[in-house]
Amino acid sequence: MLSHSRCVTRNVSRFIAVISQGNNVLARQAVSGLSASRSVTVNNPAKCGARSSVFQIRYFRTSSACRNEVITVKTPAFAESVTEGDVRWEKAVGDSVKEDEVVCEIETDKTSVQVPSPAAGVIEELLVPDGEKVEGGQALFKLRKGAVAAQAAEAPAAVAAPPPPAAATPPASAVGPIPTTMPPVPPVPGAAISATPVSAIKPTDAPAAFADGRGIPARTEHRVKMNRMRLRIAQRLKEAQNTCAMLTTFNEVDMSNISEMRKAYKDTFLKKHNIKLGFMSAFVKASAYALMDQPSVNGVIDDTTKEVVYRDYVDISVAVATPKGLVVPVIRGVEGMNFADIEKTINELGEKARKNELAVEDMDGGTFTISNGGVFGSMFGTPIINPPQSAILGMHGIFDRPVAIGGKVEIRPMMYVALTYDHRLIDGREAVTFLRKIKAVVEDPRVLLLDL
Amino acid sequence: MILRTFSNLCAQSQACFRSARAKSTLSDVIDETGKSGLILKSLSTDIFENLALEDWIHDHVDLQNRNMLFLWSNAPAVVIGRHQNPWQECNLQVMRQKGIPLARRRSGGGTVFHDLGNVNFTFFTSKKNYDRHRNLQVVTSALKGLRPDMDVRATERFDILLNGQHKISGTAAKLGRTAAYHHCTLLCSADRALLSAVLKPTCQGIKSNATQSVPSPVKNLLDEDPTLDCDTIMDSVASQYNTEFGFSSPVTLVDPSDELSLPGIQRMACELLAWEWTFGRTPKFSICTTFELKNDTSICNATLNMDIKNGIIETCDIEVPSDWLPVELSREFSLHLIGGKLCPYQTSVIAAAFLRTIPQNKEFERKMYNLCRRVVFMM
Repeated sequence: MLSHSRCVTRNVSRFIAVISQGNNVLARQAVSGLSASRSVTVNNPAKCGARSSVFQIRYFRTSSACRNEVITVKTPAFAESVTEGDVRWEKAVGDSVKEDEVVCEIETDKTSVQVPSPAAGVIEELLVPDGEKVEGGQALFKLRKGAVAAQAAEAPAAVAAPPPPAAATPPASAVGPIPTTMPPVPPVPGAAISATPVSAIKPTDAPAAFADGRGIPARTEHRVKMNRMRLRIAQRLKEAQNTCAMLTTFNEVDMSNISEMRKAYKDTFLKKHNIKLGFMSAFVKASAYALMDQPSVNGVIDDTTKEVVYRDYVDISVAVATPKGLVVPVIRGVEGMNFADIEKTINELGEKARKNELAVEDMDGGTFTISNGGVFGSMFGTPIINPPQSAILGMHGIFDRPVAIGGKVEIRPMMYVALTYDHRLIDGREAVTFLRKIKAVVEDPRVLLLDL
Repeated sequence: MILRTFSNLCAQSQACFRSARAKSTLSDVIDETGKSGLILKSLSTDIFENLALEDWIHDHVDLQNRNMLFLWSNAPAVVIGRHQNPWQECNLQVMRQKGIPLARRRSGGGTVFHDLGNVNFTFFTSKKNYDRHRNLQVVTSALKGLRPDMDVRATERFDILLNGQHKISGTAAKLGRTAAYHHCTLLCSADRALLSAVLKPTCQGIKSNATQSVPSPVKNLLDEDPTLDCDTIMDSVASQYNTEFGFSSPVTLVDPSDELSLPGIQRMACELLAWEWTFGRTPKFSICTTFELKNDTSICNATLNMDIKNGIIETCDIEVPSDWLPVELSREFSLHLIGGKLCPYQTSVIAAAFLRTIPQNKEFERKMYNLCRRVVFMM
């Protein structure tokens, strides 16, 4: 009883201190919180001191049993003259449980028996290791009866825990159905970059309450450790950026012809091949054609042996955003494929990605990457090379724009395309010619037929 | 057997009681019928929907003074018990190849293979009236009713044996707070070749204290007597259930995807589909195995040691002879797997990203690629 009253006084004095700060809103809320509970239940006197916010008064539950009694819960008797079973814990030490919530299950002879908690409280000790045998009537676990532990302390811990195991793959920006952009390189800030390391930055103090009496939203921050894979990829990306002489050339593509072709043939295509005719196949085929024409764009510098590796085949990596992160499946041997083959492969890979079935062999390698920022509505941008390759094509959104055609202004569906390339290997002339070839093929696919 | 759909039953009881409610849930309708015995048959062959329906009935229907029998069968699926280890119990690679899903049920017991040639019976009762022997007697009497001289017997382990040697039925049960359910399978015409192909461990070297299945030789009832097909058997068991417990219930068809009559069932089915439930609920275990790595010119033996808790790799150590592959590469790769799921897809993504970051060397690339594929194959 003494410990109980000590804590109540502590809370009351803190509440008074808050009022004296002139924070009327909080005081009003605190008053209602305190008056609502007939008896303020204290969970653990030792934990009381750690509290610094007045908000947790709201989290105290009204309960008639406000003593910190520890009870031992025994294994229930088994049905049908069974004598023992294996215990499988659902909750761990320190977890709070409500009355009747399942704490563990006992598996006896093909039957799973649930063991509920007899009262609300916190699990104090598990008396039998997971998977071990127990007999009916045997002591199972200790429960400290009382209010549910403050959720304020648990919430940040719960928030911090899910992010690290969640993404072992580099998380992408958002969900996308079809190929999307690689993480864009942020623009270089005009002003000098501050030399203050992030760890030195202290969370700034909360400003005074808003004039209209609104409460201040919480200004906490939480830290999540970067996972190893992300660190490694970041390192590799920076290395590539430091060794490559990376720059980007742009062009624009008039999508009217290809849109028309698509409109004219989409039904027949669907009927014959059972899949939809999209734009990606045009760009993939155009890229393969241009890569065979400009072999240096399809090659790569081997920094260790100081050789240029030229490849006779074209494997195009397509960046795809999935809910779990960015994946880059590869379409192999594009130089020998036609639009239908390419669409089929893209479709297959897309299905696999959606069903989480992509294998290592589907994602390994690639001589050139295409990323499509257009699905997110990107207009213009510089993609970053996907090492160890020498170039990447960035596709952006198709927007109607006024363009000059034969001396007149016409509205055409236009797409900006960008090619980021390694200048150590690829000259400006080659890069521009490459991009113009892609433009030529997409604007008029007959170029492919006539090998122009 | 009089077959009625749930909507018929609903309409009938609504007409009887002139309810003002827009739509009743299944438990409301059952309460209104005032019957103490009911037989339901599922319209779905989706394992997750059917398991969700079992849970829904267990949680929402008042079983204190009522018994229910639920008849269901599923498209090919493997179902593991509540506390089992899927990597130990079934061959996940073969299942993936053949598109056979894995489900973890909430009752205990061992692993079973379901397909349309396998019938499932779930007996719902209050905890007081829980009696598995009586339930199995319903099944054996029903079978004997169809073929009086067939030797089918229930054992002490609650299996049903045909001719004293072949297992045709396995049992599992769950005891909740006030109610209980006991379900069992019955092999009528299941694909036995597929059954034995999938009920093998995914990889060797698993050490775990999860509940282990006890393998037994099995046989189909159809092999014993070609006239015994699933529908005949289901009807017979339903009749026998009525006889044994003194009910006069017709078989009512239920659609487990009907959210209006079964509020909350979609969420229950989603929970059962989640990786966190199916794989994440595996008791802590470790894998310790050696495997061969080959390339065009050489061969070597590598070892893999992993500790897995909640399906997440907690520790991972892949050792490859240093003359085959630089130690830093295999060590780095091991470290990258820690904190990830024991999932071939997630590991493939990590492996592909990792392969792109290693310094260019055709030979190491090839070897590392082989190593990655081999490790993924074990999941």
